[in-house]
Amino acid sequence: MRTKERAVDLEKWQGRKRPYDLVKEFVVAMVAVAVLVFACSSIFGSPDERAITLQDWAKNTPSDFVKTTTSELAGGTTSATYGAPYNQASEGQVLGPLKLQKWFGVKVPIEAARDFVVAPLAMSDKPAIQAALVQWKSATAATQSKWATGYADALEKAGEVTSVADSNGSFGPVPTMASGLLDIAQVGALDGMLTTQASPLPTDFTKPLLFLADGTYLEDLAVEQHLGGDQWGMMNETGSYPGQSWMWLYSFWYQIEPLKSSENADAQVWAIMGLLTLGLLFLPKIPILNQLPRRIPIQRLIWRQYYREENL
Amino acid sequence: MHLLAISLDHPAKYISWGPISISVPNLIMILVLVGFFVLALSLPFPKHRKR
Repeated sequence: MRTKERAVDLEKWQGRKRPYDLVKEFVVAMVAVAVLVFACSSIFGSPDERAITLQDWAKNTPSDFVKTTTSELAGGTTSATYGAPYNQASEGQVLGPLKLQKWFGVKVPIEAARDFVVAPLAMSDKPAIQAALVQWKSATAATQSKWATGYADALEKAGEVTSVADSNGSFGPVPTMASGLLDIAQVGALDGMLTTQASPLPTDFTKPLLFLADGTYLEDLAVEQHLGGDQWGMMNETGSYPGQSWMWLYSFWYQIEPLKSSENADAQVWAIMGLLTLGLLFLPKIPILNQLPRRIPIQRLIWRQYYREENL
Repeated sequence: MHLLAISLDHPAKYISWGPISISVPNLIMILVLVGFFVLALSLPFPKHRKR
């Protein structure tokens, strides 16, 4: 196919030429960056945050752990209601009529109550827990929900507690299950149970991380370190280390209304940044904006010697 | 580590102004970047020997 070329593209450059050693510049830049990296790593330390475990959570805020466990059984946590890629409990993030999250489907199937609570408890050899599981599994979904919701409400009402007395048996086996999982987590066994469910090599931390994120413990720690979404957390780092400052524009949208309180902020911010990126890509084709180099001639400042010598 | 000249393993200071909140380490990095940009604009290109 013949391409139509503009005369200006075919015209041979008649102006001044100068030699330019690209390899030399590359080597100088690489050596300079290597020296800087070595110097900075010798002078500055890096943050040394310990990994947060389910054991930390169960030991430091047992009340939050028990409440979250009960909410998992009641099906009311973020994980249980997230939608794709974990389940079909909701549509997830939408952009107008576009159901972006749902389109990608359930790729990492997770049933919160079964995976985070029932399956680990099934590994326990305590008769009380096994009896509670038999009672739980033999009940209808409506009864399970009634037990768990009732116990979740009672825990919420009682405040910072790890159990509430069940005088008339309205919570079924839920108190035994929640206390049983707390015991397992406090001795450090739950971390291994959730990471090794899918594979003997614990490389997939999806389940413990989702369970941890359903409580308030992880969020409180993140907010303390200015890592919350509404704290410009995307561009921050733990400790006094500089973070991802180039993410400032992406973070910015989450700080202002209506995006700040939007249910679909992730999809909306993604769309805005996509549009802005396209704008940058096609800047030479956008009227008025493509005149910016004439109105703000920074190039004349960079190449000032050339413009001066050529009287341009 | 006590051998390090400057440890960064402690909470950062934050500067807040309306909806804007920025950590001092991030602010320093941004100022350094802006400084490099100004230097790139203002410093003359090295002279090349004529061949």
